[in-house]
Amino acid sequence: MSELRALLGAAAARMGTAAARAARTALRLLWPPSERHWAALFAAGVVALSVYGWWFYSALPARLPSTLDWRSAAVVLGRDARPGDAVALAPWWAERAREVLPAWLPVMAFPRFAGEDLVGVRRVWLLALPSAPGHRYDLAGDLTARAAAIAGPQRLGRLELTRYDLRAPTLPLAFLPDRLATATVSVGGHACARDARGVFHCPGPPFVVVAREVREVDYLPRPCLYAHPPPGAHLTIAFPAVPLGRALRGHTGIVGEAALVGVAPVRLSVKVEDQDAGTFEEPPAQPGWHPFQVDTVRHAGRSGTVTFDVSASDVERRHFCFDAYTLP
Amino acid sequence: MPAAIAAALPRSAPRRIALGWAVATLVVAAASAPAQGIGRDESVYLVAAESYATFWGELARSPARALAGLERFFAVNHEHPALAKEVYGLTHALLTGLGLTSHLEGFRFGAFAFAALLSWLLAVAGFELAGTGGALLAPALFWTVPRHFYHAHPAALDLPIATLWLATALAYWRCIRDEGAPRRARLHAIAAGLAFGAAVSVKHNGWFLPPLLGAHWLATRLPALRAPGGRDRGRRALAVFGAMALLGPLVFIGSWPWLWHDTLPRLREYFTFHLQHENYSWHYLGRVMREPPFPVAYPFVVTALTVPAAVLLVLAGGFVHGLARLALAVRPSQREPGPAPAGALSASDELLLLLNALFPIALIAWPTVPHFGGVKHWMPAMPFLALLGARALVAAGRALWPARAGAVTALLAGLALVPAARAIAHVHPYGTAAYNELAGGAAGAAALGMQRQFWGDDVVGLLPQLNQHALSNARVWWQETTYLAVRAWQRDGRVRADLRWANAPEEADVSIWQYHQEFRDKEFRTWTAFAESPRPGEQARLPRPMAGLYLDEVPLVAIYARPGAWR
Repeated sequence: MSELRALLGAAAARMGTAAARAARTALRLLWPPSERHWAALFAAGVVALSVYGWWFYSALPARLPSTLDWRSAAVVLGRDARPGDAVALAPWWAERAREVLPAWLPVMAFPRFAGEDLVGVRRVWLLALPSAPGHRYDLAGDLTARAAAIAGPQRLGRLELTRYDLRAPTLPLAFLPDRLATATVSVGGHACARDARGVFHCPGPPFVVVAREVREVDYLPRPCLYAHPPPGAHLTIAFPAVPLGRALRGHTGIVGEAALVGVAPVRLSVKVEDQDAGTFEEPPAQPGWHPFQVDTVRHAGRSGTVTFDVSASDVERRHFCFDAYTLP
Repeated sequence: MPAAIAAALPRSAPRRIALGWAVATLVVAAASAPAQGIGRDESVYLVAAESYATFWGELARSPARALAGLERFFAVNHEHPALAKEVYGLTHALLTGLGLTSHLEGFRFGAFAFAALLSWLLAVAGFELAGTGGALLAPALFWTVPRHFYHAHPAALDLPIATLWLATALAYWRCIRDEGAPRRARLHAIAAGLAFGAAVSVKHNGWFLPPLLGAHWLATRLPALRAPGGRDRGRRALAVFGAMALLGPLVFIGSWPWLWHDTLPRLREYFTFHLQHENYSWHYLGRVMREPPFPVAYPFVVTALTVPAAVLLVLAGGFVHGLARLALAVRPSQREPGPAPAGALSASDELLLLLNALFPIALIAWPTVPHFGGVKHWMPAMPFLALLGARALVAAGRALWPARAGAVTALLAGLALVPAARAIAHVHPYGTAAYNELAGGAAGAAALGMQRQFWGDDVVGLLPQLNQHALSNARVWWQETTYLAVRAWQRDGRVRADLRWANAPEEADVSIWQYHQEFRDKEFRTWTAFAESPRPGEQARLPRPMAGLYLDEVPLVAIYARPGAWR
């Protein structure tokens, strides 16, 4: 044992000496660096980046899905998806899916899903381009954290399809923007007229309208009720016969670049069955899709009128948008 | 080669190379231009160019009438000087008058001429810096950057100002450098004055040239004024800066008849416009920049993510090489008053190149200067970086294998340029969407949250589908593409004449959405406007694109249509 130790020690010493000699030689050759050394370093960099550049463009087609891959995804989803399903994209910008996939299937091009309610969605199909430059797995992580079961991934050429069955899907009793046709809308007690497209036009400036729209709030598409507050008055939207459950949940936001400015909040007061349920403020210059929630446990199992009152002390560019839905 | 052609060619090698580069640039730009769309700015310049050309034609025929109608001819786009647009108007009038080109190509020939002039200047200056290798490589390093290649085509102002900036700096350089040749120095002084006048008559960037060149002169010549030859140096400075002070404003005002009346108020209006330029929203590293202070790193990061990687290293290496040469040149043992002999280290030469390579970028880096428009706003720096890079490649070849220096330089240059040329082939004609392999191309840049495109010209890729499928007399909302661009395409027969203009997606039958993060609401408004009413018991369906333009799977443009509006 001691002989082995001595042998190892001698070998280590020899190696150390050799390494020191090699380092001295290398230093003598390289230091001080001459013009040739710098040129060699420069040339090595050019060679390395050239090889990388050539490889990048050569490999790119094989990293991206082909037309056939997209068609395959459309066929699989057309066959296997069902109402209550939605498609998520990774990377989120791969929105060719909108053009290619079945039109009835919602596509959610969101950079992250943490904090998203995913209203009405039971299962999410994550359509990924795993080899595409810039692909990240954080979206898959968000969905995994919310999934009760995961099926896949299924390879479709350079696409990958994974199904996430949500553990606790948000399945509303009623999504109020979709019930606008049943609502009454008024400003200061004066009724607003509904046009053929279902848009309510209110007395006062032409921008005071209530419409069911998809609008951009903090860069994401939000199906919502567009309800611009009127100057010096309150805008009232009353939904009759809304099925009620344990809670009324919703979000508020200001559309587009107007969210960055503003001097006063937009106030949203909620009444359930003519009883005040809460008042919420959409703050100025704070872009975001801000959640609110009202406890409706005592009305659960019944239908009732839900009334929203929208107002602001300064209505300049208050392109207010909100959604609301009742939860069982 | 026929004797007549050979006799017409320049005798000197650098001029032959420069001519070769100029012709090649003109031919390649002309051949590749029809694929490229009409950008927002260009569409306005086309109208201005035609209007200005009409004025000059009218002035030749009937001066009194032309001068009486001057306001009308020059009202369009009077926030920018006239010279480049007058050149475009001239080439358009000549070429379409002869029936040689389409209207758009006729205007753009002026832009190709500026691109050819830039190649010429780069080759000549490259030869002076690094011999034949420098003459061959400097234009190549500039043009193999996809965004520079893109800017060779539009009848816009950004490439012309880069060309004239270089021309002014080179003329100044020659004027202050030519010891013992006062006549040539005077000629170069006049050339500098004219080039400076042309530069400011193209774009306001040119006004930064005198202070920059003045700083260079003060740093390199002022200390040596009392040394032998100091009086000559003083005379040269007086000549070159005097020429710029005299000829610059003369060319500026002479070429811009808008200033012939109410000169001072209009000058004030012009400078105020540019000093208080609007800040456009711009997507950068995942956030939309809207108001100052903007990130100082912006132009450096965008350059690093758009210039092909190997070319980027060559340009950066050239800059470091220039810094090292400057450091060597100012060492006490090296410091000699006055300019250095040819080929020797010259602090003056190095400083001039380095200042011009850095200043336009540093100017845009300033946090209160508007940050938008990709690389075009600091493009005047890039020819100087190309010169420095070309010299570094030649120097590397010489240092690595002196006996085979040319072969080594050629090999290194090929390694740098070939992937870059491939990148151009990959992205053309969508140059404003070009990102390099360090960014991960268009896909990597989209994931990084970079601006996908600008100017609204990428829609050109979907014109065939639009022409084929849009319903007769359909109203089309073009989003970023201007009415003037659509009209120019219709004039050349590239967009169906029956298609009508819509001001908003709500008014349209067909909506052309061009991806801009800051305008995302416009796409969603299209969804709202074009959504079909849900059938009983069904969820509301959002419309889906009828056609899309994608670069490496990244959506650039999508066409939506109302039900029945897409055949």
